[in-house]
Amino acid sequence: MIAKAALAVCLLPLIGLAQTIQFVDGVFKVAGWRPDRVVPSGGWSSIFAVYAGAEGAPPMLGTYSVEDGSLVFRPRFPLAAGVHYRAVFETPGVPRTEVSFDGAKRESVSSSKVVRVYPSADVLPSNALRMYIYFSAPMSRGEAWKHIRVLDERDKPIELPFLVIDQELWDPAYQRLTLLFDPGRIKRGLVLNQQMGPPIVEGRQYTLEIDRGWLDARGVPMVEGFRKTFRGGPSDRTPPYLNQWRVSAPRAGTVEALVIDFPKPMDYALMQRLIDIPDVAGSVDVDRQETQWRFTPSQPWKAGGYRLAVDSSLEDFAGNRIDRPFDVDNLQPSSGGSGEKTAFLPFQVH
Amino acid sequence: MRLSLSTTLFQVAAGLAFSAALAFGATPTSGTTTGKADLKSAGQLAFGPNGVLFIGDAVGAAVYAIETADTKPAATAANLEIKAINEKIAAMLGTMPDQILINDIKVNPISKKIYLSVSRGRGPDGIPVILRIDNTGKLEEFSLDNVKYSMVTLPDAPESKPDAAPKKTPEGMGAGNPRASTITDMSYMDGKVIIAGVSNEEFSSDLRSVPYPFHSAERGTSSVEIWHSQHGRYETRSPIRTFIPYTIDKQPYILATYACTPLVKMPVSALKPGAKVEGETIAELGVHNTPLEMIPYRKEGHDYILVANSIRGVMKVNVDNLGSYKPIVPKNDACKASREPAVSVPQGMKSCGVDFGGTPFETLKDLKGVYQMSKADDKHAVLLQDSAGGDTVAFNAGNATVQTPEIKGTLDLKTIALP
Repeated sequence: MIAKAALAVCLLPLIGLAQTIQFVDGVFKVAGWRPDRVVPSGGWSSIFAVYAGAEGAPPMLGTYSVEDGSLVFRPRFPLAAGVHYRAVFETPGVPRTEVSFDGAKRESVSSSKVVRVYPSADVLPSNALRMYIYFSAPMSRGEAWKHIRVLDERDKPIELPFLVIDQELWDPAYQRLTLLFDPGRIKRGLVLNQQMGPPIVEGRQYTLEIDRGWLDARGVPMVEGFRKTFRGGPSDRTPPYLNQWRVSAPRAGTVEALVIDFPKPMDYALMQRLIDIPDVAGSVDVDRQETQWRFTPSQPWKAGGYRLAVDSSLEDFAGNRIDRPFDVDNLQPSSGGSGEKTAFLPFQVH
Repeated sequence: MRLSLSTTLFQVAAGLAFSAALAFGATPTSGTTTGKADLKSAGQLAFGPNGVLFIGDAVGAAVYAIETADTKPAATAANLEIKAINEKIAAMLGTMPDQILINDIKVNPISKKIYLSVSRGRGPDGIPVILRIDNTGKLEEFSLDNVKYSMVTLPDAPESKPDAAPKKTPEGMGAGNPRASTITDMSYMDGKVIIAGVSNEEFSSDLRSVPYPFHSAERGTSSVEIWHSQHGRYETRSPIRTFIPYTIDKQPYILATYACTPLVKMPVSALKPGAKVEGETIAELGVHNTPLEMIPYRKEGHDYILVANSIRGVMKVNVDNLGSYKPIVPKNDACKASREPAVSVPQGMKSCGVDFGGTPFETLKDLKGVYQMSKADDKHAVLLQDSAGGDTVAFNAGNATVQTPEIKGTLDLKTIALP
């Protein structure tokens, strides 16, 4: 590029046209001024810079080149919506030039909202561990703890119900946020648990409130807020027992769903991933407030024996896993699990 | 798919590098390649030997080891104060301060230059950027476009099996696996990178110890189950929030804070794949208080740890005799026997609670509004601090560690003498 510029300078006489700064195809260009073949001692940035911040803030990152006889600044990042940019060109012998550019207009029309929250049940055990909040669109990180509250019966926010993880537990698409009720208030024997008790108390009513000020990934607030009312139930400290699951086997030659009914609701996300019928393709549905798992095969069932593979990491609402409860009482040795990674539940298709 | 592709590329690169190492008889640096380190995100930072910068990429489920070549020694850290650094960074990245997240700050122990991991944008398409501040206070990008690096992937334990019959779920097959782990802290110690993470699904206790140099994408990445037992009775899996390597009686330990309880110690020798490791509580730093950052240092013949907390300001913990402190135990037999939790706050078993205890510490009244902290040299620390901040880092109003700070004054980066 530099060589090309030098050639251009040799061939063309310098013309005394007033220079200006253009923004074309994602680059800032000084038009009407031909750069010398020698880079200034302070670098091109000493005579040409683009600023996105207030006076005194450093210039934008980017690279310089001489293209077709013009000095070009290629910003490291594309221009951002709603940002005012100032491009300044200043070199001895020519008048100072400052031209302003505006990034695209920042979007302002709300379109995102909370679409679902799990657990979907109206009663949560007082040692409930986790909630999933599903959004209709990707959201911004760094917002969660400003916009989520759990209110008591008098609409008063309860103190610190959740474990504040500053990184925030998002799915890769930023459309599902995982909330953990503060485990310190759930685990028996901990200081927090003894001093404050669990965040949810049996018999009391609560409202999960999410205000609409939560910004989506475009930086725009949601269309509306979200409220979900639930009641505190008894604590649940027993692991899910497979022998209590009711398996309704489909008939051979049909695409009827295999249905499993659980005596207590299971974790919505884990249920989709950790229960499997090996070697059978199909689709999974979760229903009846997470107490039912249904599997519809892509091809009709063939008669014969099958088995349901259940990963022992599967948890209920309170974090009790198949292989052990959330907090094990060592004085009751029987409360531990089998230690097997996968449990199998056979069923027959006739 | 992305995971398997990067693994394949890594293995090819590893093979090439291994041949080169044989040919030149050099120390094997299998896996090191030169080019663009294509991070999906830049979160936790840690420095290893010879200016190697480890960058936690939680979105890409990987840790990158970047050979910074920033190995010109500086005896001491520069005395810096950069006012409103978030505004300056945003200006450099061509965006607004509310559109950046400062994820971590670490100082290169050799050059004493300060490295920052930043996200430009706060949505899923946020661009990872590494910035560096030299000893004159100049802020610049540390480009990852052409660097010597190696990486290790952090395969999630419950990954779906590639040969399994396809299953369609309400989450949708097209959206990919919604499970992800965040990296809450990372350190280098004795040839190992130790990585703590929290899953967004199962309640895991994900602590990995990966030998460095990275020899294989898979090796050493089995996670260790970290458990917490209170009063030796109730055991639970316990995610680790933040930790530091620490030597006690010449043995390597990590001092960690669980997501739910205060400071514990555990020997590094116990961190073996598949092991069940239990931390021993050595200090309770206050209910609901979460240590955000810890810095170990020695001053005037005494050992201390400086702890920046979520709600109790900055504490200076005396750890002179960490090996001999007894773990915190219940106050009395009644507390020991307590089984069920309190049912509400007023009726809570306050008599059994240990609000503070274990190792002695003091709260430093002069240091308020500290969001980030990194050791700068043996006598100094670098802080990211709200100039008008109070004792409490207002989590519910955002937090500068990764969240958009709602700063009362200005968000300043400055060097302080270790107290």
